[in-house]
Amino acid sequence: MYRGRLERDLRHWTAAGLLDAPTAARLLKEYDSRESAFSVGRVLMIIAALLVSAAILLLVASNWEAIPRLARLVGIVGLIWGAYLAGGLLLARGAGRLAAAFLVIGTLAFGGAIALVGQMYHLSGDATQAMLVWFAGAVAAALLFRSGAVTTIAAFLAFAVAGNEWTQSGTDEALLVWLMPAMALVVVLLVRYTGAERTRHLAYLLLVAWLGLLYGEYERPATAVAIAAAGAAGYLLAALPQSPLRALARSAGAAPAFYSYLVLLLGLLLLHAEYDDAGGRLLLGVVTLAAAIGGIALSGRENGAVRYLGYLAFAAETLYLASETIGSILGTSGFFLVSGLVVALIAWAVIALERRFSARNAGEGA
Amino acid sequence: MARTLLRIPPLLAAILVAVLQTAVIGYMVESRASILRSGADIRLKTMPVDPRDLLRGDYVTLSYPISAIPGAIVAGAAPGQGERVRMAVRLKPGPDGLWTASEASFGTLQPQEGSVVLRTLPFQYYPGFEGALPETIFVSYGIERYYVPEGEGRVLEEARNQQELEVEARVSPAGTPQIARILLRGEPVYDEPLY
Repeated sequence: MYRGRLERDLRHWTAAGLLDAPTAARLLKEYDSRESAFSVGRVLMIIAALLVSAAILLLVASNWEAIPRLARLVGIVGLIWGAYLAGGLLLARGAGRLAAAFLVIGTLAFGGAIALVGQMYHLSGDATQAMLVWFAGAVAAALLFRSGAVTTIAAFLAFAVAGNEWTQSGTDEALLVWLMPAMALVVVLLVRYTGAERTRHLAYLLLVAWLGLLYGEYERPATAVAIAAAGAAGYLLAALPQSPLRALARSAGAAPAFYSYLVLLLGLLLLHAEYDDAGGRLLLGVVTLAAAIGGIALSGRENGAVRYLGYLAFAAETLYLASETIGSILGTSGFFLVSGLVVALIAWAVIALERRFSARNAGEGA
Repeated sequence: MARTLLRIPPLLAAILVAVLQTAVIGYMVESRASILRSGADIRLKTMPVDPRDLLRGDYVTLSYPISAIPGAIVAGAAPGQGERVRMAVRLKPGPDGLWTASEASFGTLQPQEGSVVLRTLPFQYYPGFEGALPETIFVSYGIERYYVPEGEGRVLEEARNQQELEVEARVSPAGTPQIARILLRGEPVYDEPLY
């Protein structure tokens, strides 16, 4: 990850005499002291909390007769109280890492309590509502404790709510169409408030999944085109050097360009299901390969996520065209030959441009 | 710093969250216990249809004759295609003590002496040939699962498959049924306590 690369680069610069050793050590120390830095202790603590919580959830699911069910109910509510109070006490003492583990246990035990009630009264159907109550409880806990760990749990629960509704028979798509973006918005707001930066990606992924659902709801070529076009527009705004929004997008890191690129590819993927004749395949193949190469060319240097997505799209599209073939095997072969020559021409032009730019920059620098 | 100023004292947060979540659980329990305590009694025959739920454990699937509503007993207007609807189903006891559906509606049914009205769970309605009512409408009521201790489902399943299983349920005024007892050959096997 980044720390490993940073350490290697610092060593490299120290060896080259660009940086003295004490400064390099200080830089690395500063990075390690950041809250977002990886801490083995904290991660292991959360893993332990997840294992304990899983034990609680499975104990509920086993419906073990040795414990009378009223005792189970009182026990799990007591567990919720104990976990939150312990978390609160630890937070008050400044032991944030340990506190996060207790808050995770409390939030998951709340889900166990909901499942227990469903089991006690033999509730069948509408598990979505139960999951939604769990999500709401997690959101309340994340908000009141201002906890990043619980925010992450809430984000996963948002997926569980959507997945549960999606997989059950008689899915209520009308509900999901507004519920998914609403949950994503709640998660994004929680992320802003609690500072659980990485959890933001779960909200973005939920929105991408929501676009897929929208297509399922309005299954027409126009929907897929709209998704691809929106993704393309967002990506170009975030990545084109001429775009007025580029600076803003880059200040938010790799995410804006990556997710709009992902939406573009999602739209193209859906279009593949819409057009299955030879002409459609040819056109889509050209567009998809152009999108893959465009992404690599535009963002390849600064955005590793887009670059790998571009490689993936390129490989998948090539394999798809090779297996489906455009008209005939010979036709596909001809298509790849033309594509190869075009890409080679572009590569030659780009190399020439890059050489000219670097020559001019060197001239200005001198 | 803004970050610490905005923060609710952790102990207060702990109590707030615990009270809130306990209240939710308490409400869920009481909404069901109140049906068991004071709902109207009905008795239903069950039929054969076993699976496991990730969070709630092993259960036996129960299906009821009243889950298949004949189109002939549906009164009132039918909804449009693909609409999400609930039905009201009027149950009346037969001579054998088992309750069967006598009337159903996509709207509401008025309470009547000697009958109980059940509300189905929401479902998507698809009409039959040329927009007519389908011959049978399949509905569920939220009492189609009976959770059992791990590994104990077998006895109930065998009894159910021989059609020897009956369910006693109680129904809230709003029409929500709640399983109260499971009867094996007329004898109660599982009696549901209030809590």
